[in-house]
Amino acid sequence: MKAAAAGYIRANDLPHAISLLEQSRGEARILAGGQSLIASLNLRLAGETALIDINGVAELSGIELVGEQLRIGALTRHRELASSDLVARHVPAIAQAAPLIAHAAIRNRGTIGGSLAYADPAAELPACMLALDAQIVVRGPAGERRVRAGDFFVDLFTTDLAEDEMIVAVEVPVAVAGERQATMELARRSGDYALAGIVLVDRPSGVRAAFFGVGPTPILATGAMAAIDRGASPDEAAALLEGDLQPLDDVHAPAAVRLHLARVLLRRALAATRS
Amino acid sequence: MNTQFVGQPIRRVDGRLKVTGGARYAADFNLDEHVYAVIVNATVGLGRIVSIDQAAATRLPGVIAVISHLNAPRLAYHPHKGAIDPATGERLHVLQGDQVRFYGQPVAVVVADTLDQAERAAAALSITYAAKRPAVDPSASDTTEIMAEASKGPKAYYPADTARGDADAALATAPVRIDAFYDTARENHNPMEPHATVARWDGDRVTLWSKTQFVVNEQAEIAAIFGIPTENVQVISPFVGGGFGTTLRTWSHVTIAALAARQVGRPVKLALTRKQMFFTTGHRPRSLQRVALGATPDGKLTSIVHEGRGETSRYEEFIEALTAGTGFMYSCPNVRTQYRIVPLDTGTPNHMRGPGEAQGMFALECAMDELSYELGIDPIELRRRNEPEIDESTGKPFSSRSLMPCYDRGAELFGWAQRNPAPRSMRDDREYVGMGCASATYPVLFSPTRARARLLADGTAEIEVAASDMGPGTYTSMTQVAADALGLPLDNVRFSLGRSDFPPAPPHGGSQTMASVGSAIRAACAAVLEAAARNREVRPIEAEGSAQRDPEVAARFSMHSFGAVFAEVGIDSDVGTIRVRRALGVYGAGRIVNPRLALSQCTGGMVGGIGMALMERTMLDARDGRLVNAHMADYLMPVNLDIDRLEAHFVDEEDPHVNPLGVKGLGEIALVGMAPAIANAIFHATGTRLRNLPISIENVLTA
Ligand SMILES: Cc1cc2nc3c(=O)[nH]c(=O)nc-3n(C[C@H](O)[C@H](O)[C@H](O)COP(=O)(O)OP(=O)(O)OC[C@H]3O[C@@H](n4cnc5c(N)ncnc54)[C@H](O)[C@@H]3O)c2cc1C
Repeated sequence: MKAAAAGYIRANDLPHAISLLEQSRGEARILAGGQSLIASLNLRLAGETALIDINGVAELSGIELVGEQLRIGALTRHRELASSDLVARHVPAIAQAAPLIAHAAIRNRGTIGGSLAYADPAAELPACMLALDAQIVVRGPAGERRVRAGDFFVDLFTTDLAEDEMIVAVEVPVAVAGERQATMELARRSGDYALAGIVLVDRPSGVRAAFFGVGPTPILATGAMAAIDRGASPDEAAALLEGDLQPLDDVHAPAAVRLHLARVLLRRALAATRS
Repeated sequence: MNTQFVGQPIRRVDGRLKVTGGARYAADFNLDEHVYAVIVNATVGLGRIVSIDQAAATRLPGVIAVISHLNAPRLAYHPHKGAIDPATGERLHVLQGDQVRFYGQPVAVVVADTLDQAERAAAALSITYAAKRPAVDPSASDTTEIMAEASKGPKAYYPADTARGDADAALATAPVRIDAFYDTARENHNPMEPHATVARWDGDRVTLWSKTQFVVNEQAEIAAIFGIPTENVQVISPFVGGGFGTTLRTWSHVTIAALAARQVGRPVKLALTRKQMFFTTGHRPRSLQRVALGATPDGKLTSIVHEGRGETSRYEEFIEALTAGTGFMYSCPNVRTQYRIVPLDTGTPNHMRGPGEAQGMFALECAMDELSYELGIDPIELRRRNEPEIDESTGKPFSSRSLMPCYDRGAELFGWAQRNPAPRSMRDDREYVGMGCASATYPVLFSPTRARARLLADGTAEIEVAASDMGPGTYTSMTQVAADALGLPLDNVRFSLGRSDFPPAPPHGGSQTMASVGSAIRAACAAVLEAAARNREVRPIEAEGSAQRDPEVAARFSMHSFGAVFAEVGIDSDVGTIRVRRALGVYGAGRIVNPRLALSQCTGGMVGGIGMALMERTMLDARDGRLVNAHMADYLMPVNLDIDRLEAHFVDEEDPHVNPLGVKGLGEIALVGMAPAIANAIFHATGTRLRNLPISIENVLTA
């Protein structure tokens, strides 16, 4: 089926994009890589809508080190995340996550901003943001604000973004000395959204474990994290995941299987960061 | 037989056209002034249409017509049953009444200037139903099995009941026994190219640019439905982007396209969406089977019982080869097979690559594997000890049978000797590794076919048959056959197919195109050479030839292909993920006309078998018959990254009986055998026997 689009306009720069968003009063959608948006328009899951194409907005690109943060522009493609030296050096969890996203053709187009705004609970990058305790840089007519990842993902496909706001970048704390990170997932078919996945950030000051595919949003496994920080064994920590996660039954796997997979992933991720 | 080109790994003659986009598939045809039709599908699984409110849809821009049973003309629907249609029952009549027989049944069609407008209007139609709960699960208690009319009696092609000896008595007294149930999922064909038809009427003649694997049947079917002479229908189908059987029948959308074009008086283009393909273009029926084997301690079979049930619709009795291989695969004095079908509130199933054999051989070959462990005999050795000298189900000799040569060659190439026979004994890091094997078989069909050959003044030749090429390479292999028969270079032969005004060919299914069309082309080439020798002046000169199986040969021989399939799986011991690390098939399929095409045909079939084993399953909601996963994100098929090393090999096999070319066909057998080889490998890896397909992570974990 072909997409039902009510209009298309290309934003020249960031202020232009914001003013277009504002003028549309919630009737328009931002078009980034189009890898989720166009599919949902084609399937008529999203209603008829105008598109504001941000692909020409230069301010949204680029990865740079700013102090203790890695700033990643919203238009950064998954492929760039996978091949960036800065990402590999400072936030290896993202470098490990990027190749797990879909297939090469999709990684060439899909963007980090699109992935976070779309907020698929089985997506890798939202979980990375959560585990890394990143800030989402959001811009609207009233200016810029920063939202902690933990506050950004509200529900299934739902974020803290207001109708007239967009993501311009993310700011991710870089790894400190002695920090290890691991991203892992399991899927029935290569390239698919994960049945369950983990992003583990193992800092000397404490561990953060975010799971994806096991609840309505990426979920921080606070119970298991606290146990690990107390010195619990991986098995003991994994046993606590039942209280942390909210997996559901669906056509791809029963909830119990997803929970089991999450437990295995926690043990494997810990083995990787502590080996 | 001149074999300068036959037997050579010639590249596809249409390869350049395909990769440059020059090959035109049905929906690629654009006619002047054509408009678009979009089908509206029922959103209940059983019941009646109560009302259709089309006011809003009709007002939308570009809308030309909204056609439903309320305003559609009554169509003739004269009786017509093609070679591929179920013998019993009546095909779905569309837009002729208010009855809804299954979820997704077409209930209306919208025609508009553009596709977008037609889709928009289709979504704006408001239809209400009186719905009842459909029966869609053949294992549920609200269904009843029946004996298909066409399977009654011993002469039936797929007999409901066969017996030799007393299998049940022999089973009861067998020293070693296995008795198990197997369940294979409903599957959809899912070729890349969606079904599409472009229809144009000129008076009472209609031309259909359409996706079909059976050109002359589409012509006859549409003529019968519209009550017009067959010659008034012209079908054009030069390229088919994959079929696997789904385009063997002429489904209701072809009728709807022609009906819409006639109603609006303009050419109409109609393409199904991926989702719609799940509704109305057939499916591999789910099967429920029991296989029981009895044997002596040294591994001689004393009894085989195979009982199978398959799905069908309420309005047609679809039958296939579910238990057909069981009678002749192995030597055994006592064999009983039983085949029943279960009518459900779904569309009629149809043939899907390896139809019946794929599911039936899954059950039989898993059972043989189970027996081998029970006996402590190597599974290949078990088959060797039961290798028959003749087809014991008919008493006829095989025209050729290379099952054991296939096993021997396969075992060597695969490294079977490295397998530790004990289950759960082989590991590679985190993976349990298992190796399994299974037999494959498929009959050698050969149907009456005609071909036309023409020699031109410039020394080139043209060959025409109403055949299809859904991907195996018909264009190429037939060019090879004709070039050899005429003694011409390949470049001097142009082979055309896919037009109903060409000489008729049988369905492009049942692995018979090479045999049937190839033999007819040889005959036509011989005829035209003879004519040309008699008359050296007139060019172009043309002649027709035909081929069909000699009934005497058919009476004398049992004709089948055989193969041995090997698979190695790796199973993540903690999470149960299953990976096919490598697979290998060896086939005895007569003469191989083009090893390059044959390899691609076989590896494609093996991928289909991997899908059947581990991923493919069409799910229906028991409450309303809704298809839960009717799209490619949720109906899983393997992708390139899921496929590791696949190999296909062919043993030398000369079979002078099957057909003049000595070919047996590869399309179906390449899928048969893969799923049981994988299931058997999974048992070897884990020690757990999983008998329901597809096998998924949770089956491995909870076993
Ligand atoms: C077959 C397939 C498999 C996939 N598998 C995976 C997978 O395994 N894991 C995974 O994570 N993803 C997967 N994806 C999705 C892919 O990663 C998308 O690229 C991503 O989810 C969205 O990014 P995009 O740039 O394409 O966004 P778009 O599709 O352009 O937009 C998505 C949504 O985000 C909004 N949006 C985009 N940019 C912004 C912005 N800067 N500010 C505010 N809103 C914005 C849009 O308006 C829209 O609502 C898959 C996609 C496909 C087609």
